[in-house]
Amino acid sequence: MDSSVESLLDAYLFETNSLLMDLDGLLINAEKSESLSQDDVNEIFRSMHTIKGSSAMLEFTSITEIAHHIEDLFFYIRENGIDSLDEKHKKDLFNLMFKSTDKLREEVQKVENNEPLDDNIEPFVSEINSLLKEISGKGDSSSQASAGGGASADASSGSASGAASAAAGAASGVSLSLPETDMPYLIHVYFTEGCGMEHLRAFMLVNSLQEMDMKPFFYPADIETNPETASYIIENGFYLGFPTEKDLELAAKTVDQSQNISSYEMIQNPSFKAEDSNADLLVSAPETGASPTAGKREEKKEASPKTQSAPASGGSKASGAAHHAVKQDLISVNLSKLDALMNLVGEIVITESMVTSSPDLKGLKLDNFMKSARQLRKLNSDLQDISMSLRMVSVSGVFQKMNRIVRDMKQHLNKDVRLTIIGENTEVDKTIVDNISDPIMHIVRNSMDHGIEKTAEERIAAGKDPQGELILSATHTGSEVIISISDDGRGMDPQAILAKAARQGILTKPEEEYTQKEILSLLMMPGFSTAPEVTEYSGRGVGLDVVKKNVEAIGGSVTITSELGKGSTTTLKIPLTMAIVDGMEVSIGGNMYTIPLANIKQSFKASESDIILDPAGHEIIRCMDDFYPVIRAGEMYNIPGACNTIDDGILIWIESTDHSYCLLVDSLIGEHQIVVKPLPSYLQQFHIKDYGIAGCTILGDGNISIILDMNNIYSASHGYY
Amino acid sequence: MSSTDFDMEDIVSVSESSENENIERFLTFISDNITFGVSTNHVIEIISTYMIRPLPMVPGYIKGIINLRGMVIPVIDLRMRMGKPAEEYTSSSCIIVLEIDEVTIGVLVDSVIQVLDIDVTKTTPIPVRDNQELASSMTSLEDGTVVLFLNCEQMIQQ
Repeated sequence: MDSSVESLLDAYLFETNSLLMDLDGLLINAEKSESLSQDDVNEIFRSMHTIKGSSAMLEFTSITEIAHHIEDLFFYIRENGIDSLDEKHKKDLFNLMFKSTDKLREEVQKVENNEPLDDNIEPFVSEINSLLKEISGKGDSSSQASAGGGASADASSGSASGAASAAAGAASGVSLSLPETDMPYLIHVYFTEGCGMEHLRAFMLVNSLQEMDMKPFFYPADIETNPETASYIIENGFYLGFPTEKDLELAAKTVDQSQNISSYEMIQNPSFKAEDSNADLLVSAPETGASPTAGKREEKKEASPKTQSAPASGGSKASGAAHHAVKQDLISVNLSKLDALMNLVGEIVITESMVTSSPDLKGLKLDNFMKSARQLRKLNSDLQDISMSLRMVSVSGVFQKMNRIVRDMKQHLNKDVRLTIIGENTEVDKTIVDNISDPIMHIVRNSMDHGIEKTAEERIAAGKDPQGELILSATHTGSEVIISISDDGRGMDPQAILAKAARQGILTKPEEEYTQKEILSLLMMPGFSTAPEVTEYSGRGVGLDVVKKNVEAIGGSVTITSELGKGSTTTLKIPLTMAIVDGMEVSIGGNMYTIPLANIKQSFKASESDIILDPAGHEIIRCMDDFYPVIRAGEMYNIPGACNTIDDGILIWIESTDHSYCLLVDSLIGEHQIVVKPLPSYLQQFHIKDYGIAGCTILGDGNISIILDMNNIYSASHGYY
Repeated sequence: MSSTDFDMEDIVSVSESSENENIERFLTFISDNITFGVSTNHVIEIISTYMIRPLPMVPGYIKGIINLRGMVIPVIDLRMRMGKPAEEYTSSSCIIVLEIDEVTIGVLVDSVIQVLDIDVTKTTPIPVRDNQELASSMTSLEDGTVVLFLNCEQMIQQ
């Protein structure tokens, strides 16, 4: 039972979260066009309805209540058209909707974290109701709408349910009497004994039928709100009524596929066909099992061929069926399974090269073996590509979130800013998407808060469009994704930054030695904040350094460019995937090290006499008409047996994000695709990452190679730490 | 590179398993002529003749990392961790792989002796304040050997 509840909960969280996310996107777009289309209204209505239903099933009262009242609100809008609202109401509506989705998300979050739900949502609900009251224009209509809300989903069959509840009193006493209805076809459903919450299960059933564009009559009618009905259903079963035989068959199929239903029967309403009412009334008699109108669950085969053709008939139903077909092409997979797959594929790649380059094979002439090995290599690389592509998701989700943040801040800060999104379909590894959301949000907030000028007048005075612009873009470049966030605001004043940094004492060299680029990277030092005051959104001093740390944790880098008065751009360079990298194996002191191929520009031989010394004793070498600092890897790491002279080793010209330099290593071994493994957690305490030791990889022969981080090597060798 | 894994069963001294819950199973080993004991709850396996990949920029007692069937594990030389000078490894030296609070480390020791059932109530704290705090308590065995119990939590601290 527990595990089934758990999987139910998982499905619920996934569904509700994705509904809320879609809703957010829809609202943002709708707000931009300042109106809701009929489709939008229907969509919101449907989403709320689904959330309400599934939350009620799991007994999350607060979520159910909120969704329920929003549903009421949109029921009114659906009936009266969005055009019945004036500008102010629309604005209120959007604000309320954003607030509601936030509130719902907050509650769902609580469910996720196993925290108690908010039990006092009255003020919130009354807020929704007061808006409804306001837009409906008359006081009484709101009460009418919310009263009808309980049955709003079946509003068009309202008369039927009204009749049914009138009949309820009469019917409840007599166990076998059919409810009074004008529907000619009925289904009588019994739930599995002891499955619990029968009334909500019945409600879910009605829900799923309504989603198929049916408007079934059902009895008892107040299943959603009245838990008492559960006992009635246990005793007497649950009745569904349909206007046509086609609906009946379709519904029977749905009922058949629903869980926790012990038996169901199709009955013709005796008030329509009085002549054979006697036979139909024998609902629980065993012989009805064989009668053509009865379809017990056990007789699945009998029922299904009849209904097979049903979904294809009728335009709306056909589209519904097609929709389902599309849905079934997608499955949601637990990320940990994909992680495991990726790990396994990594191991296979390593094992393959272990097998094919085994020392036992040396000197043997193995034509067939080599042929098969080549085939294996090709298959492995295909496998690797596919398993990697499984993990790729587009960044649109993250970008959509920014839309929302910009919208909220726009109102809060009273700034007019438009957000332009470019390349939101760019795909990156799922882990990376999860990790860039916070940094991007931080940067966007910074830009909104400090970047864009406070008033439109200020912008006009500077000769700019009064409306500020924030551009969020994502592009692919080979092995990296570049995400840039630029604003056309005030830009940053290098002198102010420098002065502030000097005051905070984080300068490591004389002020005048700082280049523009270095000054801007000061912004990402811990504890640095230029904002004179702290606002709700940013300026707490923990900012860009956290961004930098988060981005670097996933192997990326951050750069800031800015021009005073014209705006700033923050660029995140992020690897497509962290798992597999093209690397160059080099040997230093007899041990293997891996340099990411992306960092290598060139390698060349040189001699000791080419070295030029600067006054501080730093070594410099000339390469392609330019001068670059030289770092001797063996010396820096104190590796015994590493070559000491430039003549014996080989220089690799490295281009990392911030620095360009030449690294001296003993020799080049070769190019490999490597699977990045993190260093054991025990070693983290020695901060070797800061010295450029980023991770390790297992080579084909089982040896370990250490992956070097070119950026940190430079920093470490120049005493930044 | 080859690995010969000791089968734990081989070195378990036959002892009638007592129902006494104070009895705990310890693996005893020698490092720098000191007999140490470590609870077998922490011990994953014992490996010998392994190729250790040295690491730059770490303290000397971290000999490097090893690849244990795809897992990368740091190896600590217990002798050097105690502040003693390094010594040549012999054929009896081996690496005990320990898992402590979900951190896996390899501890390089001089030799492994046996697995013993020890009554934990009979242990006494170490009288001299051990500034490394690598051993938390001690006990003496029937044959007169003194066993120091390795402080596992301390091992994974810097």
